[in-house]
Amino acid sequence: MRKGSIPSAGRFARCATFLIAVVFAITVTNSPARPQSDVPDPAIERGHKQFVQECGFCHGPDATGARGPDLIRSLLVAHDVKGDLIGGVIRQGRPDKGMPAMPLSDEQVSDIAAFLHARAAEAIRSNRLPSVYPVEKLLTGNAEAGKLFFNGAGGCNKCHSPTGDLDKVASKYSPMDLEAHMLYPGGQHTTVVVTLPSGEQIKGPVAHIDDFMVALRDDSGWYRSFSRDRVKVEIQDPLAAHRELLGKLTQADVHNLFAYLESLK
Amino acid sequence: MLLHFRLAIKGARDRDNLAGSYAGNRFAVRRASAVLSLLLFTLMLPPPFAAAQGLDPAALLKPPTDTWPTYNGDYSGSRFSTLDQINAGNVSSLTLAWVFQTHSATIKATPLEVNGILYFSVPDNVWAVDARFGRQIWHYERKSEGHKIGHRGLAMYKNWLYFTTPDAHLVSLDAKDGTVRWIVELADPKLEYFSTMAPLVIRDHVIVGVSGDATDIPGFLESLDPETGNIQWRWNTEPDPGQPGSETWPKDSDAIHHGGGMTWMTGTYDPGLNLLYWGTGNPNPVLVGEGRPGDNLYTCSIVALNPDTGKLAWYFQPSPHDVHDWDAVETPVLFDAEFKGKRRKLLAQASRNGFFFVLDRTNGEHLVTSEFIDQTWAKGVDSRGRPIAKPEAAPSPDGALVEPGSDGSTNWMAPSFDSQTGLFYVNCRRLFSVFYTTVTGKAEGWGGRDRNLWANTTLRALDYRTGKVVWNHELGDGESLAGILTTAGHLLFSADNSGDLLALDPATGKTLWHLNGGGRMAASPMTYELDGRQFLLMPVQDILYAFALPAFQLQGHSDTTHSIR
Repeated sequence: MRKGSIPSAGRFARCATFLIAVVFAITVTNSPARPQSDVPDPAIERGHKQFVQECGFCHGPDATGARGPDLIRSLLVAHDVKGDLIGGVIRQGRPDKGMPAMPLSDEQVSDIAAFLHARAAEAIRSNRLPSVYPVEKLLTGNAEAGKLFFNGAGGCNKCHSPTGDLDKVASKYSPMDLEAHMLYPGGQHTTVVVTLPSGEQIKGPVAHIDDFMVALRDDSGWYRSFSRDRVKVEIQDPLAAHRELLGKLTQADVHNLFAYLESLK
Repeated sequence: MLLHFRLAIKGARDRDNLAGSYAGNRFAVRRASAVLSLLLFTLMLPPPFAAAQGLDPAALLKPPTDTWPTYNGDYSGSRFSTLDQINAGNVSSLTLAWVFQTHSATIKATPLEVNGILYFSVPDNVWAVDARFGRQIWHYERKSEGHKIGHRGLAMYKNWLYFTTPDAHLVSLDAKDGTVRWIVELADPKLEYFSTMAPLVIRDHVIVGVSGDATDIPGFLESLDPETGNIQWRWNTEPDPGQPGSETWPKDSDAIHHGGGMTWMTGTYDPGLNLLYWGTGNPNPVLVGEGRPGDNLYTCSIVALNPDTGKLAWYFQPSPHDVHDWDAVETPVLFDAEFKGKRRKLLAQASRNGFFFVLDRTNGEHLVTSEFIDQTWAKGVDSRGRPIAKPEAAPSPDGALVEPGSDGSTNWMAPSFDSQTGLFYVNCRRLFSVFYTTVTGKAEGWGGRDRNLWANTTLRALDYRTGKVVWNHELGDGESLAGILTTAGHLLFSADNSGDLLALDPATGKTLWHLNGGGRMAASPMTYELDGRQFLLMPVQDILYAFALPAFQLQGHSDTTHSIR
């Protein structure tokens, strides 16, 4: 049992003090360099070439592993700072595992480390959608079938027209944004009609609505709010049709419809 | 000198080999906390009234009504309080008792309340607050690198608190003054491990889980010694190769060693059966399953473990081979009730994938599977009660439109089971997303993402015998993170998406009380009774509101009207 201050010797204290000191220096002084911008770092490019040439045969040209281990998931790479751990492995090799020693220069090691850190950062960032997404990947549907759906089963033509509100719509949005807007445009389009006890009706775009109140902008542009237990409220939401459609669309409907809208340039 | 360290790259499962990195961080912790301790508040206010005396773990078996001693209030996870001073007959006169401002991140924790003191957290921060008057007693801050998505709360054992951190450490604090007793590292934050969960104390075990799926790391659950932080046992989400369950992973790859399955929500416990119930998270890589064909046990599972050994007793998997990030970590709620003419020990979970499951918690026998809200990803249920995924709902380069999105039909916000109504309550959502895979080559990490289109939240009451929806109370557009509390006062507390705090009739869903709280609730309400007065705590963004009946109404507490509806 330990009491008082933070224990210095705990459940992982099997290693020698010098090792602690080294790793301490590593873990508190820096973290792996992760490029913050999209501007390619020339070191990463150089490191990539170097890696493919020297390491790719065993670790795969993209470092995801082949005969040798996946280095993107590597603990050593995660703890490395500018090649200080990777360098040792490269230069001394791992004879027990069949990895030969490679006498690379400091710069070559540092470039390879930059490449591996960039690959690891890429994996971590893979939970974000890229700002630019290749339209070819999205264009798996049939535009003609999409047009049929637009004018037929989808009922899109009840509110939209390719020569009206959707004229050149594909030029207005990036492909991925177009697909998202096509499925659900978002934004606040709801109009409410409030009927007062006197019978007077006030209509306007909704400012807020919940179980207890409703607020709108009236014809003169002024904000007005009402307790819902004192008035009758009618909600007119043009997006209701989109919400209803979302649960009915097949993946083919989505891709066909997208192919059709993407052709409206 | 680096030779030892090199051995460590096998992965985080093999923690003994990571001695170097762990010891190093332990060093760092000591230095940082020496600085921090200078900043710590000492006892600012004396404990109110009676002297506070810690928490005997035996009291967790049947918590007194003047406490809320664990994340869920008790081991069952039902979040049903036997308090009824605030009830359906008088809730309309509920009034503000006090307000505590943290000026911090959004509160997602459920506070503990022990001996008149509340303990709660946001990432990197813990507060002790006078539960009667809302005054700060102490505040602990430990700045860290790591994921700060939220923090669910603390655990308490005798005089000690246990606090998980964004850099995957466990801090033991002295509950009297917030000073640090010790800090241990749970997992390597350089691999993107972190921890947000409230640990669970069972006798002399502190059960702690971890988070993280940005990289392909294995999940695990640990039991630590409450006095020393030493590991008592560790249960790995992925079985060892050759062990039962390993056949649900490919043999010719290292997928099983990088399979994810985080343990990021507090589990529940049945003292009679001595079984611990825990939900596990999604497998990795998250949205791309090609490299891990099979069910991927024990990810997206509910597991029953022996809390003394960590040995698996049984499991049930709500989402086999998940590719949508649908963690099955939602509270496995325990209750004893009639099922097909027999009284049974049940476990119920409304899972993130949109399905409600009822199991026999003695042996994991599957009893009910039902959709508690619309979904478009499953085409049916197999003979073992598991949903069967449609292949076309898997994420793809051209996008797959799926309900629910990765945020799920529900998520970590607390459900509740009310033994008076026999209904199970869950905050749930309609939520459509398009799931894209973006990776070329071998997937690492997520390998893609979904894009949310539209969401709408509703609070639903389910009949546990069938899973059928008994009533539905709309909470507005968007995704709610508000949890649920039910009480013997015939009340259900939660919040809507417009910032309204709500008390509903748990039998019908009808609103009995509401108040615009000025922000969204992203935690769960809780309640306790002190000096004969029932307090109701509702966190709103970074503020704690305490409600109670007006003091004048409580004079001669025993006269308080307990009129019920």
